[in-house]
Amino acid sequence: MLNYALLLHAAPYSHQAALSALRFADTVVANGHRMKTIFFYHDGVHNASALMAPPQDEVHLADGWKRLHQEHGTELLVCVAAGLRRGLLDVSEASRHGVMSHSLEAPFELTGVGQLVDAMLTSDRMITFAP
Amino acid sequence: MMLHLLNRSPRSTATYQDVSEAFGSDDHLLLIEDACYAAQPSAGAALEPFGGRVSVLQEDLVARGLAKRVDPSVEVVDMNGFLALTETHERCVSWF
Amino acid sequence: MIDVSDSRPVPQDLLVVLRHPPHGTHWLREGLDVALVAAAFGQRVGLLFQGDGIYALLKGQQAGPLGQKGTHPQLAMLEMYDIDTLWVSARGLNERGLSADDLMLPVVPLEASAMVELLQRHPHTLIF
Repeated sequence: MLNYALLLHAAPYSHQAALSALRFADTVVANGHRMKTIFFYHDGVHNASALMAPPQDEVHLADGWKRLHQEHGTELLVCVAAGLRRGLLDVSEASRHGVMSHSLEAPFELTGVGQLVDAMLTSDRMITFAP
Repeated sequence: MMLHLLNRSPRSTATYQDVSEAFGSDDHLLLIEDACYAAQPSAGAALEPFGGRVSVLQEDLVARGLAKRVDPSVEVVDMNGFLALTETHERCVSWF
Repeated sequence: MIDVSDSRPVPQDLLVVLRHPPHGTHWLREGLDVALVAAAFGQRVGLLFQGDGIYALLKGQQAGPLGQKGTHPQLAMLEMYDIDTLWVSARGLNERGLSADDLMLPVVPLEASAMVELLQRHPHTLIF
């Protein structure tokens, strides 16, 4: 069994890469490996949006990531610097910045880039999906 | 031994050049997403630097209508094959 | 002509490959952020500038007219974070008509064979 980490740079519904990453993560767990961490960086932070509302006949990406967390304990880490710039704020960041609503909820977590470095060092494999 | 993931159409020549500069003699290239178009015989020159150590992802090929247009030198792998390549190659880098 | 180093590159803990030019996209900025944070976490970090990423090093860059900070301030911070191992594709330099004198930091130009070895010998590589 190997520990996998994914680094996702691509926004949902703009490029195939977010779907490719989800499909790969599902394959990782289906083959008995551990899908340990998904780190959302660059435009990939939009995958964590709690406000995402795709048409019903399309894959709901945020739900796909949440399912991995619920069923396999996958950490869903969103880069705080990349996220705040692009409007991904949890309740405490929204309050800190004095904005009315938040757009990111658990199990997604806002974290620093240090967590990406940590994921790289503590996983057996790090696979990047980019637009 | 390194696995290189590439997702750009062969018309993105600068990206293909960057991969070829970093591609070692034991390395392997996996074409995914729009890089599937490079698996056609008509795109042959794009894959020359990779010495036949090239695979392409079946699901992405089929979706693009390319299933019957694959050059015989390129190996077709499914998602389990993609995962297997990441198992056998300790390191994986992505070019985009 | 460019002097290409004969000495074998000394691998670091993490190699960050930068392939995108400044200003037009955020790739370079976010790639450099990873390099700086990794260094702050005690990792030895090497940078490889490849393709249009070489333009990151061009002298005379400024902040953008629309308030973009640019990436030259991050490059100026590299030394403070002990990131002093900068490699560059010799072919990429030549193709762009650039020499070491045109660049804001000292770099080691590498031929393709040395770049292959560089990637092989680094335990971790991230490409931006």
